[in-house]
Amino acid sequence: MTAIAAVPQDPYRQAFNAFMTSRREPATITRLRREAFTRFETLGLPTRHQEAWRFTDLGTLHQIAFQRSADTPVEAGALPTLEIPAHRLVFVNGRFAPGLSQPRPLPEQTLVATLGRILSTQPRQVTLHLDQLPGLTQHPFVALNTAFWEDGAFIHLPRGTVVETPIHLIFHATGGDSTVHPRLLLVLEDGAQATVVVEYRGQGRYLTAPVAELQLGDGATLDYHEVQEESLQAWHLGGIRLRQGRDSQSRLHLLSFGGQLARTDLEALLDGEGANCTLNGLTLASDTQVSDFHVRVEHAQPRGTSQQLFKSVLDGKARSVFDGMIHVRPHAQKTDARQASRNLLLSKQASANSNPRLEILADDVKCGHGSSTGFLDPNAEFYLRARGIDAAQARAMLVGAFANDSLNSIQLTPLRERLTRLLATRLSLDLIEGE
Amino acid sequence: MLEIRNLHATVEGREILNGLDLIIHPGEVHAIMGPNGSGKSTLANVIAGREGYTVTEGEVVFDGKNLLDMAPEIRACEGLFLAFQYPVEIPGVANLYFLKAAVNAVRKHRGEPPVDAMDFWDLIHERMELVKMDDSMLKRSVNEGFSGGEKKRNEVFQMAVLQPRFAVLDETDSGLDIDALKVVADGVNALRGPERGFLVITHYQRLLDYIVPDYVHVLVNGRIVRSGDKSLALELEEQGYALYNEEPGRARRAAA
Repeated sequence: MTAIAAVPQDPYRQAFNAFMTSRREPATITRLRREAFTRFETLGLPTRHQEAWRFTDLGTLHQIAFQRSADTPVEAGALPTLEIPAHRLVFVNGRFAPGLSQPRPLPEQTLVATLGRILSTQPRQVTLHLDQLPGLTQHPFVALNTAFWEDGAFIHLPRGTVVETPIHLIFHATGGDSTVHPRLLLVLEDGAQATVVVEYRGQGRYLTAPVAELQLGDGATLDYHEVQEESLQAWHLGGIRLRQGRDSQSRLHLLSFGGQLARTDLEALLDGEGANCTLNGLTLASDTQVSDFHVRVEHAQPRGTSQQLFKSVLDGKARSVFDGMIHVRPHAQKTDARQASRNLLLSKQASANSNPRLEILADDVKCGHGSSTGFLDPNAEFYLRARGIDAAQARAMLVGAFANDSLNSIQLTPLRERLTRLLATRLSLDLIEGE
Repeated sequence: MLEIRNLHATVEGREILNGLDLIIHPGEVHAIMGPNGSGKSTLANVIAGREGYTVTEGEVVFDGKNLLDMAPEIRACEGLFLAFQYPVEIPGVANLYFLKAAVNAVRKHRGEPPVDAMDFWDLIHERMELVKMDDSMLKRSVNEGFSGGEKKRNEVFQMAVLQPRFAVLDETDSGLDIDALKVVADGVNALRGPERGFLVITHYQRLLDYIVPDYVHVLVNGRIVRSGDKSLALELEEQGYALYNEEPGRARRAAA
């Protein structure tokens, strides 16, 4: 035996080795994890020298020795509800919390379950769909998630199935410098319809790197809501992959309120003729929060339509980033793609970076993009004050008007109302019911 | 109820009001006429408390209180109303919501509870008839996409709902055709009463055919150079302002 001094290993490598010894899963999944981890090691943690991360400063993330999260009990009362019946799955630190969850009866062949359970009962379902959508291949945190995910939600609606009851997924983190890797796999087969609300939230300091994969067959319809209310010490670095078939419709509402740094990279592939995608983003940030959306909408087939509206309200020294690319492939004639970024600055120290981009390789398309950043209109503020409304309320009313426009397009009434209240609280706005 | 004494005011360092004196008693309607740039709108904005207008001398006393010490919203809550020359469009804030916020702000200032929903609804509908507004304008965003006439009607409507003690109408006739002018004037006349005062600022005599003033003042270069009764307005209509115009357009040039 030769004594060899231990070579200090990358903490992520150590964590990965330890993690893998604890897993018992199909070889396909193991291979997927190993490949993803190798990809993560190759990519490394991003720096601002990389073009895609130029405006995203990870701050002290590099210096923190993150650990696998402990099992921490969470009070049911601390978690949000939709106030209407819902299929509810709660995950604490990335692991399923059955006591906080509430399954409901579902149509035959329909699955709203945990990835863990489906992996043990119907592994083929998972191996068939997990990590199969294109996009975000160079995203280190998506690779990290694929390597490290412990559990998550698996939603599968067979052809023509309509699930009217909303599916409510809550990913709660309890901090303590832990890393969490929530995973969502959603498959809507042809003509299926679902409404999904995903909530990311937590306490203390942690890194959450969630990945959602959303697959829509021909004629499928998805209403997807992502409410990001992470702790103000947290890093949220998420990825969403979306692929849509012919004449499918997706409406994604992306609401970013929490996190010291919250970034979501979204790649949407309109892969069938006449597919329609609506992206409605709203950021509310204050102090030194940074909120970032990197969006790529890829029109691969003719007659597709996409509308993107990303708004942000920034106070203190907060910063928002919007980087949006519309890419129209040569074959995708009659595409109609719109993109707008609107930013409202409440302080002189706040800032918004907006980078809308178009790449159009077809010749018969309608595409448009625009971006605006500005302060509250002093004339409007004076007008309200001249009617007796005090300065603080006048400002809150104007900000509310700017932001409510985004919330008003949310069809799920109890969620919309909750978010309107949340917005009002954040803006210290006295709500006056005004029908 | 409103006493203005030796009022001097500057905009961006240029003196626009230059020793203005004016006393208005309850129940009186005063008209201020004057050429472009004489300081008419500056007077309205100083009374309402808009930023960017600096009072360098003199005082404005409203019901015995120093108006110039009050924030714009306090002036409004104390019963002052400015009908804007250029009403502001506020996308995303419904007219009705805005009005309710304004009514409740005034009530809160008086130590009264928020308005009862039914009472508010009745008040709104009664006042809407006064200016011939229809329900759809309540749901629309404040002034957004309103025509010039609709905007001015909306100002008078707000005044009718808020029922101020004293109202300043800043060129409420500008941009109105004769039918809209009559509607606006009828709305104002309906609010005239022994407890309420008005200051009507206009460039043209035409409005004063419909809102007949008790007093008419001529404002030139930031001071009142002549006062009289309603016949003064007719005289001005015939002779123009040339007689008074020693140094025309001082305010307008400063504002440019």
